[in-house]
Amino acid sequence: MAPLVQIENLRKEFANVRALDGVSFDVQAGEWIAIMGPSGSGKTTLINILGGLDTPTSGRAIVDGTDVARLDENGLARFRAEKIGFVFQQFHLVPYLTALENVMLAQYFHSTTDEGEAREALGRVGLTDRVEHLPGQLSGGEQQRVAVARALINHPKLILADEPTGNLDEANEGIVLKLLRELHAEGHTILMVTHAASIGQLADRRIDLAHGRLATEHVARKV
Amino acid sequence: MFPRLLWKLLRNNRGRLAVALVAVISGATVISALLNVQFDISRKLTQEFQMLGPNLVIAPPGRMQTQNAGAASAPLMDEATVAGQIERTRTPVLISAAPYLYIVARVADTPVVVAGTQLAEAEILNPTWKQETGFPRYLPATRMRPADACIVGRNVARQLKLAPGSPLELKYLNRTAAMTVWSILDSGGAEDNQIVADLTAVQTLAGMKGQIQVEQLRVNGTSSEISAYAASLSKSLPGYDVRPVRAVSEAEGNLLNRTQLLIFSMVLLILVLTALCVLATMAALAMERRADVGLMKALGGTISRILGLFLAEVGVLGAVGGLIGCVAGLALAQWMGQRVFGTSITPRWEIFPLTIAMMVAVSMAGALPLRSLGKIKPAVILRGE
Repeated sequence: MAPLVQIENLRKEFANVRALDGVSFDVQAGEWIAIMGPSGSGKTTLINILGGLDTPTSGRAIVDGTDVARLDENGLARFRAEKIGFVFQQFHLVPYLTALENVMLAQYFHSTTDEGEAREALGRVGLTDRVEHLPGQLSGGEQQRVAVARALINHPKLILADEPTGNLDEANEGIVLKLLRELHAEGHTILMVTHAASIGQLADRRIDLAHGRLATEHVARKV
Repeated sequence: MFPRLLWKLLRNNRGRLAVALVAVISGATVISALLNVQFDISRKLTQEFQMLGPNLVIAPPGRMQTQNAGAASAPLMDEATVAGQIERTRTPVLISAAPYLYIVARVADTPVVVAGTQLAEAEILNPTWKQETGFPRYLPATRMRPADACIVGRNVARQLKLAPGSPLELKYLNRTAAMTVWSILDSGGAEDNQIVADLTAVQTLAGMKGQIQVEQLRVNGTSSEISAYAASLSKSLPGYDVRPVRAVSEAEGNLLNRTQLLIFSMVLLILVLTALCVLATMAALAMERRADVGLMKALGGTISRILGLFLAEVGVLGAVGGLIGCVAGLALAQWMGQRVFGTSITPRWEIFPLTIAMMVAVSMAGALPLRSLGKIKPAVILRGE
């Protein structure tokens, strides 16, 4: 079976800085990959290119048969709406929309909105009674769970999580990781950037980046 | 979801948008008031201009007839032909038309200029005429006017000691006509030295049945409208001289044109100022919305869909501001009408959609800075830069 994600000799340069320098690896559908490495190693740049938020300087990043580098502005928007679910460290919720509306916003840019489905997604992350709350009225963990519900609402092929627990306390970190484990168990493909080795161990595979290059690749022992 | 998002955008930015809304309302108020005044003032000025008397003359070819020219020496026109062509080319701009035949008759051996005309039309043509009939003002005096009635200019009446109801005998060559003084006329013009009588009676007295010397008309409109009407009339009366009374018609036309130019210049200026105010607000909003737009793009929003949302917001701003401004503009127009012209302004309902459309267009033009949001790179915004 063809891998869901194929990265071939991927390079990205910002001015004189080489953020990615010939990275290559594959991801099979249903895999949970942890991308690790020190700050400035190119983890977020890699995730951004895979999510169509940025374009590579050279090389190929193929997601579900689509070479992201070849897409134009509208093609990238369509790609992000249909194939990618993002979970960011800073949550990135629209502050003046309720939890429900934040989830529906992703539906709106994908196709049509379905309030019932959005409520169901929020119920799934344990926020049934918080749907009408604004992000400012939610805790960090709750905001991140809204972001997870938003990432899932369009049934994406690939979930990209950039330090999803980086801004959470221990209790909320546990809740979010439990959610990710459930998603993985259901067959979702997850690429997660993390600093924490303990979190990286939850993934099927750990890819270490250093100075924009693939340093090591580990198949984690399942906990 | 679209209306929901729109409502949230409007609610969330109500502080900033209120500034732009006030600008749009102010602009719409002044524009709506000016346009209402403009449309109504044309009508009111036209009414005022009617006081100036005739502004178009039809005369036989050669030279324009004067009121004091004798009938014997003056070239004549066929009354039926002229009247027929006037009727054929009649348009709403034609207010009245009166044929004239002037003769110099004698009253008790005193020579007097007698103007034969259709008295009712002449009165419409000269609304400033003041007549002393001796009847109470509330009686419909014109309806009771007999066929032999004549109007005597005040100087003639003083000289011949005539009063309303006095019998009068006009002599012309070897013919006479018995008339009754209907009223004493104070026109402030040449008619004060004339006797104005029924055209048919004067034609009979002069032995010139169906003949006239001049036709005077009152046509409303701008100088170009008056000239256009004169041209169409001239075409249907090829043998005659159809000329606007330049001094009157040009003064009227120029005044209307200048008023229009002034008002339209002000409307344009206000539109530009309103657009600039909306522009300033939108430039600030565009900066504030960088994060939202970056996120929306990351979620798969195309720039057309995202900008469509913001433009709809601006459109609502323009429409609401325009609507409120229209209502306020009506009140302002009334105030201006009373203060400046001493009369109320009749509202023109077509100004409502026109003003609202202008405000929406101006708001959209002012939303130009939002276009810069299209260049935002989501990755840069999400990094927090």
